[in-house]
Amino acid sequence: MSLLTHLVPAFAHSKTSAGRETGPSVTPAYGLTEIEDGYELIVHLPGVSRDGLELTAEDGAITVTGRRAWKQPEDWTAIYREANDTPYELVLNHDNIVDLDKVEAVLRDGVLRVTLPKAEAVKPRKISIN
Amino acid sequence: MRIVRYNHPSSRSLAPMRSPWSGLETEMDRLFEASLGEFSGALNVSRFPVDLYEDKDNTYVRAELPGIDRSDLNVELVDGYLNIRATRKTREDGREEAFALSRSVSVPDAEVQTDKISATYENGILTVTLPKREEAKPRKVSVSVS
Repeated sequence: MSLLTHLVPAFAHSKTSAGRETGPSVTPAYGLTEIEDGYELIVHLPGVSRDGLELTAEDGAITVTGRRAWKQPEDWTAIYREANDTPYELVLNHDNIVDLDKVEAVLRDGVLRVTLPKAEAVKPRKISIN
Repeated sequence: MRIVRYNHPSSRSLAPMRSPWSGLETEMDRLFEASLGEFSGALNVSRFPVDLYEDKDNTYVRAELPGIDRSDLNVELVDGYLNIRATRKTREDGREEAFALSRSVSVPDAEVQTDKISATYENGILTVTLPKREEAKPRKVSVSVS
């Protein structure tokens, strides 16, 4: 799936969000597939609840930021750690191929599924011949 | 002919910071990361991160397992190992794909009340609570001084 992400030319993953200073963040695992009439973006955001999630769709970029809902209780001692506490951030640049008014997103069990419908302008158009 | 004394490589000389190639190595790593790093962000990586915590009553295992149905989560304690097995089912183009994930975490068996283990799954994180046995809890003994 990752390879496929790279084959979708219009989306380019940018590691840093231009002109934004949000402190340290990690890029979440994500996958992008082309579906009928659009794209489906799946982002793994374990530990993020709906309150901590922000999805911004603007001209040229889609940004997903997620803060982890869980905080280590004070009387808990960490014995061994692998997971990260830093917020997630994913910025995907696009060439305005997405109809921003029709973007839909669902967060369930730490997985964000975003449907990005193609803009009318980039859809194939059938031209009738008189 | 020059005779050069053989220096047994000490741990110090083998340390990456001391290597004359360290600059090149870092650069190579950076290049590899730049080209391959994107792959680490792929979905369905079989290893998932696990955290271990404890407080005075319990040991906690937290595993990041996003997007898994509760019925596809399997937690077992066998011979001092907590086995976490999960199946992530995704639907793509109408057909279902299943991806198996598993991990074993060593848990001090003798210290756990095996019949009272519980688990919760929230926001894609599995938390297993392993209550400690009375004997394993830190004990406070007050001694009266006469």
